[in-house]
Amino acid sequence: MKTLMLGAAALLLGTTAAQADYPERPIEITVPAPAGGGTDTSARMLSTLLEAELGTSIAILNAAGGGGSVGVTQFMQARNDGYSLLATWNSPITTVPQMQPTAYAPDSFVPVASTSQTAYTLCVAPDFPAETGEEFLAELAANPGRYTYGNDGIGGTMQLAAERIFQARGIETVAVPFGGAGETLQNFLGGHVDIYGGSISPVLPYAEAGEAKCLLVTSAEAVPALPQAAGLGDLGLGDEETLLWRMVLAPAGTDQAIVDRLIAALETTVTSPEYVEFLAGVGEVPNVVTGAALGERLQGEFDALAEVAQSLGLAQ
Amino acid sequence: MTARGQDIVLGVLFAGLGLAAAWQAMGYRGASGTYPLVLGLGLATLGLLLALRSLWSGARVPRPLVDHPRHVAVTVVVGAGYLALVPVLGFYAASALVALVLPAALGFRRPVFALLAAAGFMVVVWLVFTGLLAKPLPTGFWSRW
Amino acid sequence: MELLTQIAGSVLSLGSVAAMLGASLLGVLIGALPGLNPVMAIALLLPLTYSMEPLIALGMVAGIYNGSMYGGAIPAILMRIPGTPAAIATTFDGFPMTQRGEAARALKIACWSSAIGGTASALALMTIGPLLARATLHFGPAEYFWIAMFGMASIGVLVGDDALKGLMAAVLGLLLGTVGLDNLSGIPRFTFGEPWLLSGLDLIVILVGLYALPPVIALAEQADLKGLSAAALKLGRARLGWAEIRGMVPTWMRSSFIGIGVGILPGAGGNIAAFLSYSAAKSASKDPDSFGKGNPQGVAAAECGNNADNAASMIPALALGIPGNVVAALVLGALLIHGLQPGPQLFHQNPALVGGFMAQMLITSLLILLVGGAAATRVFAQVQRLPGVLLVPMILVLMAVGVYVINGRVVDLWVMFAAGLAGYLLEKLSFPLAPVVLGLILGPMAEQSVRRALLISRGDATELLTRPISAVIAVATLGLILWPLLRAFQRRRRAAARD
Repeated sequence: MKTLMLGAAALLLGTTAAQADYPERPIEITVPAPAGGGTDTSARMLSTLLEAELGTSIAILNAAGGGGSVGVTQFMQARNDGYSLLATWNSPITTVPQMQPTAYAPDSFVPVASTSQTAYTLCVAPDFPAETGEEFLAELAANPGRYTYGNDGIGGTMQLAAERIFQARGIETVAVPFGGAGETLQNFLGGHVDIYGGSISPVLPYAEAGEAKCLLVTSAEAVPALPQAAGLGDLGLGDEETLLWRMVLAPAGTDQAIVDRLIAALETTVTSPEYVEFLAGVGEVPNVVTGAALGERLQGEFDALAEVAQSLGLAQ
Repeated sequence: MTARGQDIVLGVLFAGLGLAAAWQAMGYRGASGTYPLVLGLGLATLGLLLALRSLWSGARVPRPLVDHPRHVAVTVVVGAGYLALVPVLGFYAASALVALVLPAALGFRRPVFALLAAAGFMVVVWLVFTGLLAKPLPTGFWSRW
Repeated sequence: MELLTQIAGSVLSLGSVAAMLGASLLGVLIGALPGLNPVMAIALLLPLTYSMEPLIALGMVAGIYNGSMYGGAIPAILMRIPGTPAAIATTFDGFPMTQRGEAARALKIACWSSAIGGTASALALMTIGPLLARATLHFGPAEYFWIAMFGMASIGVLVGDDALKGLMAAVLGLLLGTVGLDNLSGIPRFTFGEPWLLSGLDLIVILVGLYALPPVIALAEQADLKGLSAAALKLGRARLGWAEIRGMVPTWMRSSFIGIGVGILPGAGGNIAAFLSYSAAKSASKDPDSFGKGNPQGVAAAECGNNADNAASMIPALALGIPGNVVAALVLGALLIHGLQPGPQLFHQNPALVGGFMAQMLITSLLILLVGGAAATRVFAQVQRLPGVLLVPMILVLMAVGVYVINGRVVDLWVMFAAGLAGYLLEKLSFPLAPVVLGLILGPMAEQSVRRALLISRGDATELLTRPISAVIAVATLGLILWPLLRAFQRRRRAAARD
């Protein structure tokens, strides 16, 4: 009924007027990850702020699976009228296509804006014989094949991030893939795997309480929330940096005026005090790269990871 | 067909399905292939067992698959047609149509009652999904106007 | 003491009470409509509450979650259509009771059992939650493997008359469970190049088809043009006698225990709890053959078990920050958005909030008694007065919309339809469907756990048995398989002695 009326209205006003009035109906944001996860939660927080900024309601559609490729592939069919957007992290766009055949490439979408970024971390139990990132890597190198590390699943950015570091130092560990960071954390806390590998947010309270020693982050810089963890730059591995970052993309062919409106709205909301505070709570920092610059960042990361995947023997 | 004949067909079908799955699973590397391979072979064995058992001692009694073939056929065809129309006509239009057509096809001859029930039902669905949950549903050609 | 008054004050505030009451009603409705499920409803409604007090959001979650677990029983009992996956076991005995003209009694038993299971679970959450949460950490991949095997062994109780077909059904379910991207190797299996199959067959999509379409076709076959008169339903006049209630206490205790046990383990779920409770009730019964033919104990066990899972599933989320299912993950997400940090410190830093949420889980369990019975008799029974041929397209539409909104994919509609047609034919061939479902749920859990366990033990399979908890569950699994055989043997000996 409502659609019918809107359809009639659009017919009367013509399409250009509709773009000037954008947005005039609810927006749907596809999140290629399960409800309640890190990408989902940050997209939900962002969408509540965006609703106020854009003056329309926003619905989240979770389409999880295949390391994010299921939801992104599904989003390929979305209409490019500005009412369908994709909120994703980098792994489905830049990492998964290296290891799985996908129907999309980094340039299959109109880049809107990146929102936030963080690193992955590697943590061990308090009684692990290492206190610094350097000691940690030395211990792993001295005992090939002895330690197990839990990761988010085969073929994701987290695994790639860890394998890059291990390869650079000639380290051999046993990778145990889990269904997500929560599951990895459970098995790490229970002592079933020796090393937690995953995003910072779930393990942060345990690091603060001294139940986990987070000794390494996969960014070049150290992360303030994890004071004991070394950045890769401190260890001379700055080139092996792998980040976890989030972005909003639109379907190919979306009108530039709409993209500009979205960029403006995202720039305001991502840097708003509420969002920055939320990000700090989950160990992330705001990071806004927009438009063509974002497209270059995606393509650059894709090309760099293609080389890494090739040299690690993980490429499809 | 008798229960015996049905079970023979069912057994052979499952045996075929199991073998197809096992054959497909042979192409998967390492441990990720072993498990479906074993399952496929297991299903094939069980299917063959069922077929053989029915051949040996199956009950030669009729067991109808449908009680009322015409009603089942109507429901399945209209149901499939409805699903095919959802992306074309949009969810609400297709649903309203099926709510009117299916009862009539099943022999319901009180058009006013059917219309009122369909209208009332569509209002409830609209209130729940579009009003309360704000969930975008397929709009079909309406949004392409 | 000060904390208690503070919690009471905030939980009993107008906003929180309104949220709990409204959400309980909505939860019953969502649970009762096939296709709609609590996870989806909570995911869609939570964002609306981000700007409100956290306890309003949490009260809404508690109400929808607890209400829907009971709501799922209403169509399960009245029409043999489980409203939620966790209500499948409720159809086994609930619908035969309706056919005997005991729909009102079955609904009342479901209502009481849900409330009791939910209450027991909420009490466990409030008292021994943190303790239980620490215990779950001892469950590693090896233990999860045995839990899956234990669940599979209960298939023996569910197969029905023909063991061969039951086994075939289970293997079919296991095989369907392998579809999708293998998380341990990254290899897509049985996906035939279709990207949407990478995430596997969606459990709810399959279940809606498998369990809702056959009854819909049956309804069309009857082609009822007049509708039931209110007298034929005999609703709202059932009384449960004291003797009957006393007879259910052991079932309630057993099912609550099972539901809580399954609930605290991240990754296991309400549907497993209901199946296990049902099979436990049947195994413990003096008259196991009466199950599946309208034994009220079957309804009580299934409904108590699936509600007992709810509050317990929040235990690892609230005590450890580890979400055990999607609802728990959404709760943690909402807490993050409200600026709270989930983890072991959550309770110490926000005792009023966490305690308030626990109290809300308790109150909404009890609210089932208030809104559940009324909703079932006043609203849903009236639906049955409509001519059956009008209900056929309506249920079809609800199935379609429910399936569509899960992933927003049109292809899921066809998966649902195909599963439904297959389910209809298989049922006619006396091929049991419950083992298919159990295989589909437990297969991926069993396969992934055992492969992880072998990765950790470097391929040494004996470690699956030498860990203490694993060994206990393994022995219990063996017992579960042998128990019916033993009883059958005993019965035969007794019968032989009599001759």
